[in-house]
Amino acid sequence: MPPPGGFEAIKYKRNLPLRGPSGLVILGGVTAVCAYGFYRLGKGNLEKRELQREKVWSRIHLVPLLLAEGDRDAYRRQQAALEREREIMKDVPGWEISRLQIPLILTESPNEAPKST
Amino acid sequence: MSRYLDPEESTKPYKDPTPLPADVPKVKELGVTSAPLKSAAFFLGAFCKDYNEDFMLCKAENRDSAHCLKEGRRVTRCAQDLITKLRENCLSEFEKHWNCLEYNNQEYYHCRKDERELNKCVFEKLGLTKTIPGAPAGKTPIHEVKNPVFTGVQK
Repeated sequence: MPPPGGFEAIKYKRNLPLRGPSGLVILGGVTAVCAYGFYRLGKGNLEKRELQREKVWSRIHLVPLLLAEGDRDAYRRQQAALEREREIMKDVPGWEISRLQIPLILTESPNEAPKST
Repeated sequence: MSRYLDPEESTKPYKDPTPLPADVPKVKELGVTSAPLKSAAFFLGAFCKDYNEDFMLCKAENRDSAHCLKEGRRVTRCAQDLITKLRENCLSEFEKHWNCLEYNNQEYYHCRKDERELNKCVFEKLGLTKTIPGAPAGKTPIHEVKNPVFTGVQK
């Protein structure tokens, strides 16, 4: 005999809990994150170029100063070497000091024809 | 030649055994290390433009070290002048900026805050501006960008 009020309803429906955002939402989210990332990357690349330019120019501005200082020292060393040679070779007859009197830095400037000597 | 003598501990002042020939006028070397030089580089380029260009044109004529001594002395004197003026007018900002560079791998982008203060002071006192040649026209120069991608810990 059935209980009073009848049997309870048969549970036949599937019971699935909520499984999170849908695939479309995830796909959209990933796309958005990637787009933002690439935007930052592009911006960063442009910025990196400018930073490099800044660094290069900061060095270019210092070239004359450092070169001038180095030249003075090179000239001093060259003169000292000539003086030493003169002192050492003073007893050798017919010795030419001029052997060393070549420019200390032998690089030719690009906008100049090579010297004939 | 067997014992190392620390020049710092020497009691006698250093004497150059081979000084410059007497006919070359003396000029005091700048004696500034890399970080202050980097900090002042753009002002140096603006302040000493004529002397620097003159020197580089002379070097283009002839690379011999004896050829451009006169122009070189002018370049060094000009740089001396600028560093002295910087130190007279913007000592605290200058020192702050180059110390920041010193502690941050000598990269400008770590030290924008100090740099802006220095640039402002130098512009007010000496009238020099930092301009980067070849930067795209119409855009904010890199040293004035408000929210850069590359920053240090300190903005």
